[in-house]
Amino acid sequence: MSRTATYHTTVHWKGEYLGRILMGNGPEMDFSAPPDAHGHSGVLTPEDAFVAAVNTCIMMMFLWSAERFKLNLLSYACRAEGTKRVELNKTESFTQVALHPHIVVRSDEVGREGTLKRLRRALDSAVKYSLIANSIKSNLILKPEIEIVP
Amino acid sequence: MTNDPDNAIELRVDKYIFRFPNKLRYSEDGLWVKQEGALLRIGMSDFVQQRSGDIAFAIPTPAGTALDAGDEIAAVETVKVNLSLPSPVKGKIVEVNSLLQESPEWINQEPYGKGWIVVVQPECLGRDVGRLIPAKAYSELARQHAEAELST
Repeated sequence: MSRTATYHTTVHWKGEYLGRILMGNGPEMDFSAPPDAHGHSGVLTPEDAFVAAVNTCIMMMFLWSAERFKLNLLSYACRAEGTKRVELNKTESFTQVALHPHIVVRSDEVGREGTLKRLRRALDSAVKYSLIANSIKSNLILKPEIEIVP
Repeated sequence: MTNDPDNAIELRVDKYIFRFPNKLRYSEDGLWVKQEGALLRIGMSDFVQQRSGDIAFAIPTPAGTALDAGDEIAAVETVKVNLSLPSPVKGKIVEVNSLLQESPEWINQEPYGKGWIVVVQPECLGRDVGRLIPAKAYSELARQHAEAELST
């Protein structure tokens, strides 16, 4: 389907380098720049939000695809790391986002190899169908650590 | 749309490219049919497999099953949808692609090759094959479906 949907956030300046964001899905929080860029510590930053968008979207899509591939998922945790590059003209961009998911699944009737193959396909599909992964120009690197338990 | 008569029609819609080999015939539901003597090999067309997404499971109806036209020849589960593939002909399934049990992704990777689904012995070969449409007509149908979907 080539349908469209829209999502909203609203920001307000609170003074200094501090703002308040209202997310379309309900939560509200303060945000700033990172401390090394004159911001405040302890609050959301655009940098964290970008890396979090990738990390959370891939996880949500993996939960869906794991269900579609009938995996017996026991746990999922993922550390994501965005790498920022500062160009000669002082513009900046995230050149890559590396994801390190730690996934534990229970082996099923197809055996360890069959389960592993299905899990890898589910991970590939999670990336392929991730809205955020499809929307960014940074390289996405997936370095999964997988455990298949009996 | 390009047509290499020895090979396949290539349909381009938006950023998508769909291939339809000329040597095959097609059902309006998007299954391809290849006549092999008195038997018919059947699979999913490139359009249907791309539109359906990554295939997680493909479960062909068992060999020996008698079919009416429209009966399910396979249940297919993709990352996005569940499909019941309707038989384009009346007959009996004589062979299923056992490769799909372990590797259903062959339907995505080689829809006209290793990704075939079943072989059917039709009750009336001439009548059933005559109802199917050639690649050019099916590609036009696929274009209409694709454009309608893209415009919504």
